[in-house]
Amino acid sequence: MNPEIAILLISCLTAVACAIPGVFLVLRKMALISDAISHSILPGIVVGFFITHDLASPWLILLAAISGIVTVWLVEAIQKTGLVKEDTAIGLVFPALFSIGVLLIAIYANDVHLDTDAVLVGKLEYAPFDNWIINSSSSQEGITNPEDFINMGPKSLWTTGSVLLVTLVLLGLFYKELKLSTFDIGLTSALGFSPVILHYGLMSVASVTTVVSFDAVGAILVVALIIAPAATAYLLTNDLKKMLLLSVVFGILAAFGGYYLSMWLDASISGSITTVLGLIFLLVYLFAPSRGLLAVLFRQRRQRTEVSLLTFLLHLNNHDSIEERSVTHLQEHINWGKVRAKKVLKLALENNMISKNGDVVTLSNKGKEFTEKALDYIITNKDEKIEDMKDDFFLFRG
Amino acid sequence: MMDITSFFTDYTLRTITLGTAVLGAICGMLGSFAVLRKQSLLGDAISHAALPGIALAFLFTGLKDSNVLLLGALVSGFIGTVWIRGIVTKTHLKTDTALGLILSLFFGFGELVLSYLKKQPDANQAGLDKYLFGQAATLVESDVNLMIIVTGISLVIMLLFWKEFKLLLFDKNYALTLGFNTRIIDGLISFFIVLAIVIGLQTVGVVLMSAMLLAPAAAARQWTNSLGVMVLLAAVFGAVAGVVGTGISASYNNLSTGPVIVLVASVFVGFSFVFSPSRGLLFKQIRLVRNRRDLHLKKTLQFMYSIVEKHDDISRPHAIRILNQFQGYSKGTLRQLEEKNWIEIKGDTWSLTTSGFHTAQNLYNNNVPQS
Repeated sequence: MNPEIAILLISCLTAVACAIPGVFLVLRKMALISDAISHSILPGIVVGFFITHDLASPWLILLAAISGIVTVWLVEAIQKTGLVKEDTAIGLVFPALFSIGVLLIAIYANDVHLDTDAVLVGKLEYAPFDNWIINSSSSQEGITNPEDFINMGPKSLWTTGSVLLVTLVLLGLFYKELKLSTFDIGLTSALGFSPVILHYGLMSVASVTTVVSFDAVGAILVVALIIAPAATAYLLTNDLKKMLLLSVVFGILAAFGGYYLSMWLDASISGSITTVLGLIFLLVYLFAPSRGLLAVLFRQRRQRTEVSLLTFLLHLNNHDSIEERSVTHLQEHINWGKVRAKKVLKLALENNMISKNGDVVTLSNKGKEFTEKALDYIITNKDEKIEDMKDDFFLFRG
Repeated sequence: MMDITSFFTDYTLRTITLGTAVLGAICGMLGSFAVLRKQSLLGDAISHAALPGIALAFLFTGLKDSNVLLLGALVSGFIGTVWIRGIVTKTHLKTDTALGLILSLFFGFGELVLSYLKKQPDANQAGLDKYLFGQAATLVESDVNLMIIVTGISLVIMLLFWKEFKLLLFDKNYALTLGFNTRIIDGLISFFIVLAIVIGLQTVGVVLMSAMLLAPAAAARQWTNSLGVMVLLAAVFGAVAGVVGTGISASYNNLSTGPVIVLVASVFVGFSFVFSPSRGLLFKQIRLVRNRRDLHLKKTLQFMYSIVEKHDDISRPHAIRILNQFQGYSKGTLRQLEEKNWIEIKGDTWSLTTSGFHTAQNLYNNNVPQS
């Protein structure tokens, strides 16, 4: 297989396989568990490697995945003692396990190709050349024919592909249950599904995915592939299905973008993929409609102006005397800057809430009605009081 | 195995040991604040976020001077911290997602720059890798001096603002109403945490730095409820972990110092979790068993009292057999009751003593006279 296509395929499959559990982890506020798992599977991988001497062996994957689940269990056990908070428990468990892994490599495996650098960054570059070769030879005499060996393509492609397949099947089977337990644990157990089983099921899938992707993209970039697409998608939608779809799309985009970026810079593929993921997130973080930074800042400013306007109108409603209603007095009374005061005054005039006679402002009928309603709402704090005012409020947003 | 005397005479080793001890102390000290502020994993995110700073500082200056690189780390670590806060306050993404995002994205970008540097022809970038896992062996005297200076400054600042730090830690709203600028104090604590992380990168490395910050503090937390004692203990734990870790890794070939220090600190944590007198699991279990036994005893006494109550003469003997319908009694509890002088046993019979009767009578009043 062409190495370029192989790398692209592996990174796309990895991205998709990571994005799916990632969505649920982000929604369940357990994103950092993926960080913990990705570090603490190291001792499992090392021990597995001593036994099997093959990084793609299913036994190794199983062992490593088990150490991932052990991490989750340990974190929860420490949390349950109440001696430290949850985040501290995570922060204590994974560095310890990771250290054990690093030391095991240092003591026993210093010369094999399981070096600590690859652990963090992965070796996507070499993945296409580590092929799965099947010996189909039926001859018993020990004569080996080159034709008897069938090259099945890169091993990582097979492992990642099968994990993705299993993930998809599980997602299809348990979508409803997962969704339910993510958003309402109480209802889940009331309906008779075990949240614990679903929790550990999800953790197992996350563990296995992490282990398999680990070989290709390394410990920390797995975390990026798990969290970043889901977080980016979460800024754009509230719909679980759309979020899953979007995060898969972002993952694939980053895989392609990252590959070509790395070709251009002649730099690490996994680093490039993460950088592209970061850029996508940055763009969405800044520009997402209604939830992006700019939209939020804009909305906050508008709301501040609206509140200012309301304060202004209430003040007018409370005071009848002319000197209380002169513009200069208002400026020092409510203690706004000149710009802000002007803006509020202009907005009020534009909406016919006040009329201005020289230097003195008077509440118009419309303004009076509006203020009464607002007061009503402020006093009772009932939503229905403000329902029909929402359109009025909308008026100001011009 | 290295000769133990060389541990104290070898100049390089002495420098390294001093360095790790100072590092452990400052990390423990500032880590206490991180743990109490529930920002344990912020350290992990910051240390990872520092990597691109190191790589970019080298890319732009071409200098491998550790001060320049650490300055880069400081800047990018701080940008990471600010961005995390921005994500949490301005969007609906939660803290854990923000931490994980910044951690992995910054680290990935750092890796990109590092791998780009590696491919450059005029490669003198070798050695930048040490910031991943840390190499205590590369510590020189000037590095250690820097650590001591930073530790000294942060110690002075901490003592100056001790009251404010403490107030902010435990009651932020009260600090606000008293008119303290919590933003500045907050920023100050965060800044020093970032600083501690950055100076530890060379020794312990990006990946394990968070444990340096957390483990001594989490261990110290188990032994005390006082902030001052906790900070002091955490500093001591950190320093001891540094010294012991360096000692162990120097005695064997191929053992990197960072992971060993982290493991030693983790052992401290495990020990504290189990053996701390007030919070530890062991003593908690012992207290649980003791309370349960005490409860059994009192339940038995109460049952006896309910029998005796119906008779005029409280010291009248009753057959032990009639206790059979009561589940809570055993030979042991009877013996203990006798030891406490609450009952008297004669052959097959028991009788309440006067003191036993009074104790049972007042069992559910709070003013029980302790026998």
